[in-house]
Amino acid sequence: MNAVITERQVEPVPTAAHSTNNLAAQGRRVGTWMIVPAQLLLLFIVVFPLLMQIYISLTYWGPTDGVSWIYAYRSLNLFGNYVTFFSDGALWAAIARTLLIMAVAVPLEFVLGLGLATLFVDTFPGRRIFYSILLTPMMVVPAVAGYMFYMLFQSNGPVNQILSFLTNSNVQLVWLSVPHLALIAVIAADVWQWTPLVFLILLAGILAVPEDQLKAATMLGANWPQRFRRIVLPRMRTVITIVIILRLVESFKLFDVMFVMTRGGPGTATETISLYIYKQTFNELEWSYVAAIGLTLLVILSVLAVFGMRFMKHEIEVEKAMGLETVGGKTA
Amino acid sequence: MNRSKVLLGAGRYLLVGLASAIAMVPVVWMGTMAFKPREEWTSGIDQLSWLPKDPTFDNFIFIFTGHAPKLLVAIDRVAVGPAISSLVCATLGTIIAVVVGTLAAYGVSRFKVGQNLPLSILQLRLFPPLAVMIPVMIMWAYLNLIDTWWGLSLIYGIVTLPFAFWLMMTFFDDVPREIEEAALVEGCTPWVVFWRVTLPMVRAPLATTILFVFILNWSDYAIALLLTRKDWNTIPVFMNALSTAMTGQMYGAKAALGLIAAIPPVALGILIQKYLVRGLTFGALKQ
Repeated sequence: MNAVITERQVEPVPTAAHSTNNLAAQGRRVGTWMIVPAQLLLLFIVVFPLLMQIYISLTYWGPTDGVSWIYAYRSLNLFGNYVTFFSDGALWAAIARTLLIMAVAVPLEFVLGLGLATLFVDTFPGRRIFYSILLTPMMVVPAVAGYMFYMLFQSNGPVNQILSFLTNSNVQLVWLSVPHLALIAVIAADVWQWTPLVFLILLAGILAVPEDQLKAATMLGANWPQRFRRIVLPRMRTVITIVIILRLVESFKLFDVMFVMTRGGPGTATETISLYIYKQTFNELEWSYVAAIGLTLLVILSVLAVFGMRFMKHEIEVEKAMGLETVGGKTA
Repeated sequence: MNRSKVLLGAGRYLLVGLASAIAMVPVVWMGTMAFKPREEWTSGIDQLSWLPKDPTFDNFIFIFTGHAPKLLVAIDRVAVGPAISSLVCATLGTIIAVVVGTLAAYGVSRFKVGQNLPLSILQLRLFPPLAVMIPVMIMWAYLNLIDTWWGLSLIYGIVTLPFAFWLMMTFFDDVPREIEEAALVEGCTPWVVFWRVTLPMVRAPLATTILFVFILNWSDYAIALLLTRKDWNTIPVFMNALSTAMTGQMYGAKAALGLIAAIPPVALGILIQKYLVRGLTFGALKQ
């Protein structure tokens, strides 16, 4: 908002009708008006709620206290919630579980997505149809995907049927009631749904690699693995970074699928950080504590984001430098 | 040489076919479940059938009317309300996000105003919604927005604003400026140029953005779970109502509802396939 005010003040009074200076000024004025709605929405959803979250996190206020949140200061406890935060074993377990799921699911999605993408580099009959089929999972509403996998992993469901068929024995696993099996089931759902996204983006990255370089390498006798490692992979640095960051951010938020499939159960076996927060919000009604957790996550994620941005900038510069080098090499 | 090529081709089809089969299994299982009569919902693993032996529309009739001849139980809340809610809120949310996002994107792309706006908008996508929902729930309660179509539409418009904004910004960046500059010199005001010259040039990208944002809004679950109670539950949230102590787990009915929820995004997604990469990476990759 600050920027809006200063820009409007320094703007010169229009005089001559068609001078370019005037056009630029007119443009700036219109542009300023154009971003006002977005800035108002941000003010409404970022600035005000953030102040409120800080305020509430410093109290013991809950929605059943019978007092409006404005009077939350009556139960002021300063950093009590933050102290609880560090000694809350269930919370740290939920964070560790989320990180574990991320650590298994994201690399799996990456490897499978990359493998599929390499299969789609050159054309073959039916490519378009297979491409559309492979993209379907990521279009399915996540909560519905959760329900699909809830049905598949029933003890008398298709997964056990297929496993029985493959192993030629009677497999009777109760997937969603055994902690580590439930964890496998939710990871399977996540990998099923998001491998297509990784595949889609990586394929776009591979296809963007200049063809003449690949042809030149082929003529010099490089086989596909060599071309892939020496030419394609280095050129995909940015794409790979983007896709991994995207998946890490999204899988940290993981909620819908778990909530529908297991409600975090059995026990807390599949309770991610989002599910833990949900339970604290609606079962325990510890809103001020949830506000403190949320705020802490906010700070940590923001710091990570700043580092991530720096890293991305560096990556893009490296890529640019590489591009120049090859262009130079060609002309020489 | 030739033989290895044939082998390679066969290997490719094998792997691609296997991946496609895995991609389709959950969809097919739910799709066929939606047409199965009650007796076939659950069965011993040896009689498990992938196709309905006795296909029926009972499940669909049940979720929209509350009872069906062979389903024994009845429900008092039907899927009509949630279907309307999903449609209305996703549409209005899309309108808010696209109108506000397009205007801001044009301002930033053309007039270089609000230099830190792009990143502040992007940060809206960074945090887990549940971690920042406490103040939003309090605000929504305070403003009487909980369980209303306007309250849900407003929050949808806000959470998908980053996608609309970033997508449109990269599309505007792609449009050459000469035509707009010529129109400006001719004496058109910047508003007229935006409305009459630029917008018609980005018609296709704008349509893509609208569909993309609609899919995202339609796919929401967590927000509707937190900000609606009963009247404006969306389809995914309403699915919970189909497994109560009274009715038991209504597999077929839930599958029918899931199918209805799944069809629009899958169908629209095929339409915008060309721009998916750009949309999903906030315009960072242009394919």
